[in-house]
Amino acid sequence: MKGIEEQIRATSSQLLATGDVQMVIGYGAGSDNTKTMPVFIKRAEDVGKLVFNPLCVSNLANYLLQWKNFEGKIAIVVKGCDSRSIIRLLQDKQIEREKIIVLGVSCPGQLKSGQAEAKIPADAVVSEAAVDNSGFKLQTSGGLITFSLDEGLLEKCRQCESSRPVISDHLFGEKGFEADKADLQFNDVAALEGAPLEEKSSYWDKYFERCLRCYACRNSCPACSCRECVFDMVEPDWVAKTVNLSDNSAFHLIRAFHVAGRCTDCGECERVCPADIPLRTLNRKIIKDIKELFGAPMPGSDLEALPALSFYAVNDPESQN
Amino acid sequence: MAVYKKISKDNLVQFLQELTKDRILIAPVREHDLVSFSPAADAGQVDFTFQNSFVPPKSWFFPQTEQIFSFRIENGKYELSEPSLPGGTVLFGVRPCDLKSILALDPVFDGKFDDNYYSDRRKNTIIIGLGCQSVGRGCFCFKVGGGPLESNGADIFLTPAGGDFLAEGVTDQGTDLINKQSRFFSDSSAEQVDKEKREGTDRLLKQPTGLKGDFNLPKLKAFLDANYEIPYWEELSYRCLGCGICTYLCPTCHCFDINDYARTGLEGERIRCWDSCQFKDFTLMAGGHNPRPSKKERVRNRFMHKFKYHEDRYSIFGCVGCGRCVQKCPVNIDPRKIILDLQEVAGNE
Amino acid sequence: MSDFQNPILPRMAFITNIIDETSDTKTFKVEFEGGGKGDFLHEPGQCAMLSIPGVGEAMISVTSSPTFKDFLEFTIKRVGRLTNIIHQLEVGDQIGIRGPYGNNFPYKLLEGKDILFIAGGFALAPLRSLINYVLDDEHRKDYGKVDIIYGARSVDDLCFKRELFENWPKKQDTQIYVTIDRAEEGWDGHVAFVPTYLEELQPSPENKYALTCGPPIMIKFVLQNLQKLGYQDDHVITTLEMRMKCGIGKCGRCNIGSKYVCLDGPVFFLDQLKQLPQEY
Ligand SMILES: Cc1cc2nc3c(=O)[nH]c(=O)nc-3n(C[C@H](O)[C@H](O)[C@H](O)COP(=O)(O)OP(=O)(O)OC[C@H]3O[C@@H](n4cnc5c(N)ncnc54)[C@H](O)[C@@H]3O)c2cc1C
Ligand code: SF4
Ligand code: SF4
Ligand code: SF4
Ligand code: SF4
Ligand code: SF4
Ligand code: FES
Repeated sequence: MKGIEEQIRATSSQLLATGDVQMVIGYGAGSDNTKTMPVFIKRAEDVGKLVFNPLCVSNLANYLLQWKNFEGKIAIVVKGCDSRSIIRLLQDKQIEREKIIVLGVSCPGQLKSGQAEAKIPADAVVSEAAVDNSGFKLQTSGGLITFSLDEGLLEKCRQCESSRPVISDHLFGEKGFEADKADLQFNDVAALEGAPLEEKSSYWDKYFERCLRCYACRNSCPACSCRECVFDMVEPDWVAKTVNLSDNSAFHLIRAFHVAGRCTDCGECERVCPADIPLRTLNRKIIKDIKELFGAPMPGSDLEALPALSFYAVNDPESQN
Repeated sequence: MAVYKKISKDNLVQFLQELTKDRILIAPVREHDLVSFSPAADAGQVDFTFQNSFVPPKSWFFPQTEQIFSFRIENGKYELSEPSLPGGTVLFGVRPCDLKSILALDPVFDGKFDDNYYSDRRKNTIIIGLGCQSVGRGCFCFKVGGGPLESNGADIFLTPAGGDFLAEGVTDQGTDLINKQSRFFSDSSAEQVDKEKREGTDRLLKQPTGLKGDFNLPKLKAFLDANYEIPYWEELSYRCLGCGICTYLCPTCHCFDINDYARTGLEGERIRCWDSCQFKDFTLMAGGHNPRPSKKERVRNRFMHKFKYHEDRYSIFGCVGCGRCVQKCPVNIDPRKIILDLQEVAGNE
Repeated sequence: MSDFQNPILPRMAFITNIIDETSDTKTFKVEFEGGGKGDFLHEPGQCAMLSIPGVGEAMISVTSSPTFKDFLEFTIKRVGRLTNIIHQLEVGDQIGIRGPYGNNFPYKLLEGKDILFIAGGFALAPLRSLINYVLDDEHRKDYGKVDIIYGARSVDDLCFKRELFENWPKKQDTQIYVTIDRAEEGWDGHVAFVPTYLEELQPSPENKYALTCGPPIMIKFVLQNLQKLGYQDDHVITTLEMRMKCGIGKCGRCNIGSKYVCLDGPVFFLDQLKQLPQEY
């Protein structure tokens, strides 16, 4: 993926040098060779800090909300999945098209961090990474490290609908990961839907119970754009601050409904969750329902398609009875 | 009087089981892939393989959500009742970093106003420390004055040795307990324990860690004493999400919120739950003034607290190097890197 | 159950009198069951956590002087959830109290000195405790001259009017200077902002300590003017407010640098304040 990385750097350098943008939001090397981190580059001479590799899992789109009042233009690096957030933010008028430049990457797939940690020694220097149908190949100071797709590929990548960005001003990378048709059918959700009620309830209970209410899911989510969040309100206190199964469940269900129609299945919430709660499954259930009820595409996949919950049609299913 | 013994893994489990006869056993238990300190009625459930628990053992002394009191209004008058706190407890399997964190929390919760929710549990709890079998990717106890086989803070400390454990009675209470249950232990000596710890530490510290560079904590402290406003904090704060992960999971963080809930006008409760200086409304006052209005001030506060304020107040460095925030921060805000960066900024001053 | 007193458990007391100070501020007289203030023994400048179970808690200065032997007084401004409900309470209702908390005004250090009090709005409340201590018949001889400069937006916003206009002026060597921000009908007293009035009055710093409480903007200009008048930083005393929950140095939210305002404050000398980060 060195090619993509070099192109991102070259384009960023040019955009900054010409003053076309005043900041580039992208990925930088982390403190550990299995992590990357968001970086905010304001000077052309710093573009060397930008990287792109199979550890760029995070979705940076939420930072556009944080920098809403930034004076100037921002270029942002997005993978295919992340690009849906850009569209969704544009549709909600949270960001202005003229103020951003989208550096899209056709994404060949991202690596599970647990697997990376298990196989890449802490002191290894990773010099190059490649992904193809056979899996991930990492050249490191300690030799070649490989992961088969089964072993290394993130679940969200396996289920990816748009590895090629749905919106971009500059596009890098030839070909994104091509998902198997069967993996795009929400079979994971369907399997859980089919389970007996008690099983479903205990499935979620065991996860909700260990939620810390750290709000990392909310704070990283590009769909969470409310200026004042219900979970922060003191008067009235919609959801108690007490951390227990009942209040945690309320938190999760309310959040899932609040992001319904805006959640683009970017998976950022699940990635940041320290308690490994399968939040994508929760949100994908709603995406699936919206799809089935309204025939709506994955939110954010089409700039022109009006979001399912933002318009009304006389033949909408909820107006039928 | 210290005592030095040896105990096999099987005997250790039986010893713990024996202790459950008159004490609650709180121990690392693996539930759906995460290890947390939980009540273990059956000592067989105890996990010995974990690197570091998900939630730190502070949650035993200072639970995330705790009732301060409940109340009812009877004949027009408030009747407040305090919750009953658990009695005798064994807290088993506390890693050396977390042992040290308890020593860092003690002076917060006692002092001029003794917090009896914490202190009662603390007094009624025997702590059995467990030395590390490996050093995790994010671990840096050994860079902040600790080590993977340091016993400070335990009543009894166990050093893994082959499949067995060497046991030290660190406090009188720990020694008494070992003596009382001597049938589970065989003999060892101070020399043997000492040797195993020295060699074990050397072995463990040879494990590769990613981040290179030495800490100079006195120099760091001197720099922070003299420098409050540096551009570094703002740059660092750009990527921070302002979430609760790093502080909730930090074994030395102690901040809490207090809230009242009334189901009806006639009864309710006051509870406290963990809170975080990284949340934007942490210091927000009525009327809208916020002394720490942006992420810059909030991120700075966290690290100043860890690296300076805690030391100023209690003469203990506020970070024990457990690595939880290193591993779990979603945007790689890593205290090791921050220490190295600050040292570099200090060097350039 | 613990054998020592639980510091975050309130004790219930009774409201025995309520005085309307202004349209949004009331003074509540509070006594424990059977009368009196029990073992709640505070020093001037200290605070207490007041609460209504089921509603919430707030840090409030004890405005009564320790020399008032039989009761406690709290002057409370209606600003939010809890204070709104406290304002609806009536005589005979219960209120939870814990404390006293924080440090106090250095009343021993002030002995033999002249004292200049400067207050704005309802922030006279914390100073009032010390004023009544100093002006108490038993202590008056221990202190030199007392000057009180006090201002509010309007006549209606002046607190403690009885003491201000009747009790305090009668005390020996005591001068009261009251001002309001804008002229209004029926007021023939002074009209000026507090910092300006201070500038006009030019009180000499000699053998004198200045204590000031008020809204942040007032404090800012008062401190500037005191400096111009030659007051040394170690002779100027003020109080700070931060959001508080525990009041006992544990919940972590009221820190300014390494100091917890609930434990190490709220009273600070100006030279101490200048040592702290400007994060309040
Ligand atoms: C040392 C000290 C002395 C004080 N003395 C007095 C006094 O004598 N009289 C008086 O009326 N007020 C005093 N205050 C301010 C008083 O504590 C707040 O106005 C009160 O907490 C507001 O509570 P609320 O629930 O009505 O307001 P809300 O707006 O509902 O409060 C929202 C939240 O903000 C917190 N909060 C807001 N402002 C403050 C603040 N300034 N300090 C602490 N917590 C705050 C509250 O705890 C609450 O959780 C003092 C504050 C401090 C720190
Ligand atoms: S990130 Fe995970 S632990 Fe944190 S609030 Fe969200 S679901 Fe709970
Ligand atoms: S809810 Fe989760 S998956 Fe959906 S947009 Fe937000 S962070 Fe992404
Ligand atoms: S440092 Fe990391 S874990 Fe802590 S608040 Fe910021 S984003 Fe969350
Ligand atoms: S700051 Fe991080 S590494 Fe240090 S003790 Fe806290 S959680 Fe552990
Ligand atoms: S102030 Fe922040 S860093 Fe310090 S103990 Fe509290 S939450 Fe932790
Ligand atoms: S109010 Fe809790 S530490 Fe000061």
